[in-house]
Amino acid sequence: MLSRQRLFWRLRPYDLPGSDRAFLRACRDNCAYHICHCPGYAAICRHLGFSPEQLRTIDDLAKIPVIPTLFFKRKALFSMPQWRMAMKVTSSGTSGKYSRIGFDWGSILAEAPMVINLGFRHHLVSPKPAHCVILGYKPHKSNHTGVTRTMFGLTHFSPPLSRTYALHMVDGGYVPNLDSVARALKKFERSHFPTRVIGFPSYLWFGLKRMEELGLRVKLPKGSRIILAGGWKQHSDQEVDKGTLYALVEKTLGVPEENINELFGAVEHPVFYNTCKRHHFHIPAYGRIIIRDPDTLEPLPMGRVGLINLISPLMCATPTLSVMTDDLGYLTTGEKCGCGIQTPYLTILGRVGMSDIQTCAAGASELLGKGEAF
Amino acid sequence: MIFANGKLLPDTERKAVLDGLEAQLDAVRTAPPLEAETVISAVDALGKRLEDGEFAPLLSRFLPAGMGLDELLPLLRRESLEGKLTAELGPEPFVSKDFAKTTARVLPLGVLFHIAPGNMPGLPVYTALEGLLTGNINLVKLPHGDKGLSLAAFGLLVEQEPRLAPYIYAFDLPSGRREDMKVLAALADGLVVWGGDGAVEAARTLAGPGCKLMEWGHRLSFAYLSGYEDREAELSALASHIVETGQRLCSSCQVIFLDTDDREEGLAFCREFLPYLEKAAAQRPGPGAGAPASLSGHTALLERIVDGRAEGETIFRGKGCSVILRPDRELELSPMEGNVLVKLLPQKELLSALRRRKGRLQTAGLVCAPEKREALTDLLARAGLTRVTRAGGMSASFPGEAHDGEYALRRYVRMVDVEKG
Repeated sequence: MLSRQRLFWRLRPYDLPGSDRAFLRACRDNCAYHICHCPGYAAICRHLGFSPEQLRTIDDLAKIPVIPTLFFKRKALFSMPQWRMAMKVTSSGTSGKYSRIGFDWGSILAEAPMVINLGFRHHLVSPKPAHCVILGYKPHKSNHTGVTRTMFGLTHFSPPLSRTYALHMVDGGYVPNLDSVARALKKFERSHFPTRVIGFPSYLWFGLKRMEELGLRVKLPKGSRIILAGGWKQHSDQEVDKGTLYALVEKTLGVPEENINELFGAVEHPVFYNTCKRHHFHIPAYGRIIIRDPDTLEPLPMGRVGLINLISPLMCATPTLSVMTDDLGYLTTGEKCGCGIQTPYLTILGRVGMSDIQTCAAGASELLGKGEAF
Repeated sequence: MIFANGKLLPDTERKAVLDGLEAQLDAVRTAPPLEAETVISAVDALGKRLEDGEFAPLLSRFLPAGMGLDELLPLLRRESLEGKLTAELGPEPFVSKDFAKTTARVLPLGVLFHIAPGNMPGLPVYTALEGLLTGNINLVKLPHGDKGLSLAAFGLLVEQEPRLAPYIYAFDLPSGRREDMKVLAALADGLVVWGGDGAVEAARTLAGPGCKLMEWGHRLSFAYLSGYEDREAELSALASHIVETGQRLCSSCQVIFLDTDDREEGLAFCREFLPYLEKAAAQRPGPGAGAPASLSGHTALLERIVDGRAEGETIFRGKGCSVILRPDRELELSPMEGNVLVKLLPQKELLSALRRRKGRLQTAGLVCAPEKREALTDLLARAGLTRVTRAGGMSASFPGEAHDGEYALRRYVRMVDVEKG
């Protein structure tokens, strides 16, 4: 699908008006592809009265059937046989249920220039080798979560000298080993090369709090970076504001605020969202965001709080053209940020109170034989 | 975390606790059994402190926003505990009965291993409480979603009455820890499992021969409408019930069955009921409170489309809720969170439709003209329902009521016949 590659190989990652035509074209093609190859998606479009020809202006993107990520947790939809996929990835399944998403080779070919392009733009790419401390899972053959692969991938933005993981697989389960992380940080303090701490913000916060309690402080070498991905997940009730976290990073690790990058993305929407120097997630040319009314799912104007609908024509193996997370958030016009990037930016307020808990009535429906193997 | 012998221990102690457990349990069982009065006075005192708001800051830490313990608090009072004992075990529950040649003594079953549910905060404590009332030692596997409420509650209970300490053990085991589950099951005389078919099946493989299995499986509930006593009050009570329980409980209304075969009447009912549901939904606290309803409703619609089941239905969308008129007659799970199914089910077909869900039926919220109530109640009872209530009371708990058609406590005791000398 050439229209997709044309979009993702664009060199100006934050030119939304300039990319609108290419984006719309790629969405039309992507939608038509899924309708043709995924009977379930075709049924959804037919039932909701949607066809790709209805995409004429950028405002028409709101008409594309929106699929909640919750849907992918209950049902797997694919638009190509599994042997043609490059890989299959699952969401982290905080609640014990996870999405199963297939990636086609074309999506990987399209993702690569996007990640490199944005990596340069946000100073993630560096030729100087670095030690990597990963506050996340050590890859394991039984772990198919997207965030594990993402964090491993992030270690390649500079030549990795070493990788120290906070979570190791022991007897079939992950166990934290914060001591080894603390020892590594102490050691890397004296290295000639910078350190990159990559991980969940929650783990960084807990780790730093622990270091603070123990009176531990390090001053990581110049050029060291903190790269945060994956959100607060099951620890969202303990989430702290960015300012507090960044201040503690500077105090305990000696890494200044401008060297902290945050990333946002989802297995169902693997667009590489980066924070600008003012820590805002601006929309890149490879995706679009619509905020929807929590009560009616109708699109809301700029600034209003609602459910986050993410649109990108990246994936061909799974119909994730237009997905909706269970987060609430809002958009702000780019000029209000002041970092120089003109595209609107997304503020995520956190999960809506979806009951992740197993409900007793839901259990009774197990007899209807739902669920399928990947 | 682990709760053992009145103490909170880190998970690293799990192996040590499990290794020493059998010897400890045997020691406790050698002594005279726990008396119900000890449990009742401790729980009653603790309940009063809870009602007085003494633990409000603690509760707000553990409970999901907007959730309270209002449903459970009345169950902790002395009169309801004593009422439960006499209702289920007779007027003098633990007094030996004299026969010509023997005396029949009532003893606790022994050790109960509870696999506790996560759908309602407080239930892990409640199931253990039923075990305590009958004098049993309780090993509780806490649910995945339990954020510490149960552990805190056990702590307070033992603080209130230290004599309960040897009778309560709670484990925050990940479900993957099958080996540990097996150890606990092997120690138990009875396994009490709450949960879906998956949990029940897993429990069946855990409980070896010699371990009695007590299953509190998942159930489905519905409302049946055949006329009204007070139309406005009943519809608004039903709407509040649907929104307040989020349709997450076994007793929550999933489907509203209408006693008619006329689709026009069905459409008219949906149009009439939607504003009631919207009014109840508008009472939800906080911004974005309608989001779970919209997400669940939309996701379920997409699932029905993909499964080829969406044809012939009509959806009435409201703000943060919806009413879905379905063309079939089956009792099934709704999309929940305030998205209710409406189906036509004339009285003459009621029994056969419900029999297709036997073993899964729980509460029917009956809305009808007063003169029809008796006959319809009989019919619902014969169809297999275990509770028949009014529209708003579907999830209420009533003193003396059975649990899914059974008196739980009867299963937690055993009889010992002793020949007279």
